[in-house]
Amino acid sequence: MKTYNKEVLYGLYNDEHDMLKAIREARAQHLEIWDVFTPFPVHGLDNALGLTESRLHISGFIYGAIGAIFGFGFMTWVFTRDWPIIFGGKPYFSAPAFIPITFELTVLFASVGMVVTFYTICGMGPGILNPTLDDRITDDKFCIAFDTTNASEADEDKLRHFLNGSGAAEIDTKNI
Amino acid sequence: MNQFTFAARQKTVLIGFMVLGLLCLGITFMTDDQFHTRFWTNYLHNSVFFTGIAFMALFIISAFTTAWGGWFVNMKRVWEAFSSFMIPGLLLMLLVVIGLWGHFHHLYHWSDADEVAKDSIMAGKAGFLNKNWYTFGTIIIMGIWIFFYQRIRTLSLAEDREGKGIADGYRHHKLIRIWTAAFLPIAGFSSAAIIWQWVMSLDAHWYSTLFAWYTGASWFVAAMALTIMLLIYLKGQGYFQSLTADHFHDLGKFLFGFSIFWTYLWFSQFMLIWYANVGEETVYFQERMQNYPVLFYANLALNFILPFFLLMRNDNKRKYGPMFMASLFVFFGHWLDFFLMIKPGARHTAMEAMHHADGAHAGEAAHHAVEFAMGFTIPGLLEIGTMLGFLAGFLYVVLNTLTKAPLSPANDPYIGEATHHHVWPYID
Repeated sequence: MKTYNKEVLYGLYNDEHDMLKAIREARAQHLEIWDVFTPFPVHGLDNALGLTESRLHISGFIYGAIGAIFGFGFMTWVFTRDWPIIFGGKPYFSAPAFIPITFELTVLFASVGMVVTFYTICGMGPGILNPTLDDRITDDKFCIAFDTTNASEADEDKLRHFLNGSGAAEIDTKNI
Repeated sequence: MNQFTFAARQKTVLIGFMVLGLLCLGITFMTDDQFHTRFWTNYLHNSVFFTGIAFMALFIISAFTTAWGGWFVNMKRVWEAFSSFMIPGLLLMLLVVIGLWGHFHHLYHWSDADEVAKDSIMAGKAGFLNKNWYTFGTIIIMGIWIFFYQRIRTLSLAEDREGKGIADGYRHHKLIRIWTAAFLPIAGFSSAAIIWQWVMSLDAHWYSTLFAWYTGASWFVAAMALTIMLLIYLKGQGYFQSLTADHFHDLGKFLFGFSIFWTYLWFSQFMLIWYANVGEETVYFQERMQNYPVLFYANLALNFILPFFLLMRNDNKRKYGPMFMASLFVFFGHWLDFFLMIKPGARHTAMEAMHHADGAHAGEAAHHAVEFAMGFTIPGLLEIGTMLGFLAGFLYVVLNTLTKAPLSPANDPYIGEATHHHVWPYID
């Protein structure tokens, strides 16, 4: 079990529109949201949270480029230096014949690399259990969570008051 | 502005370029060899290219409608306008047909009865490659396309005037769905057949089963590129204000994706022929790689490498500058692609015919003729001028059709979805 070592105050909403409204309001009041959990992708959520574009695809491009260079380079080395064989009367260095394999390795490197990167960033993987605030966030509840580990009583009251006022159906704290 | 007005200034500019095109065609005709090969290849090249773009626009509407697409309906008038060029396109192709019967040109090797008689390969293909098939293929297939265009366009306009939405059960839209879905398989088979006749038969001995798809993909990308450029221009003029960066993002994805699709087909055709190394197949690429090396590799650079890297990033697809530039290069690139498909075969045929006419050693010299020739191994200024003339004619027809209907199809059931189209979750 992974732990965040955090004390979290969270509110559960019954409707994603209430949650979106609450997020916009929280940002307007400069309340720092730790995370948001929803059972499905909510349209406009990234925008409301002010998230910037993911950089995962940049890593994907780099992995793909490495795969392309590796595939093409390896075949070139094998067929011109290490073990030259003539196939079908073609020259040792036959670029068109290398293209399909180069393409496959580009896709393989980019996809596997992106999966590994994504899992690493999200702290996921085989055997890792992520703590959940409430099981119903994978079913029908929309959750806004605040980090209150080092918050003063007054701050926590303010957050609690905000959750109450913005239509949260349930409010709770949890150490995860 | 929901109603397009064809400004006098735009008309003047377009007519100016059309005159330039005619002038270039005229000069080409005057300064040409005795068969007017350069004139006829330029004419065929541009007619096929722009007629194909018009056809692809109708195909795009049909494919998107059948796929339950909603995002495109506030720009579908542009594609309807594109497809209206099929009628002038048919007239342009009919001139090639008339030339075929009247022996005004020597574009097609198989149209020469003496040649076919002593050539077993062409004799074997004579059941398909003959004047009758060429004529009826052109008239019937383009007639079918134009018929479908008329049906879909008429229904689309009727929907605008009398559509009552849910009250009449989206009657017009349902009919459009039927017509567009019916058009797709017809378009798939008929475009292949017509491409074999118009383009592939220029190299009468050679054939490739991938050729029709590859040419069709070329048309598709060119149509997409022209759409993007025209929409950016029209949006700058104050029309199509409901189109946002999200719409251009999706158009950019199509340009990007289908550029790669084109490359995939190009490479599939090339690699199999290269690997198998059968003489009757390699002759096509041998000719092009030996005598047209600049165009051959520029083709790949313009139509694959450039759009691949320029349009790979999301934010580039949402900016007018990079999108316009990529579209411009790709549009020109696919025009060059058609140049490469048409010129070598037609030139070869003409040279053999010329040697026959001169009574010299029949065709032997033609096989080895590799010398550089402006207008044949590379597009000259006359080719560029002719292309601009055809482009201006195409745009004249398109803009003229745009004036005939409101730009936004108000009663289309998907107009709301198109107006609120979002593909980008982040702040620009």
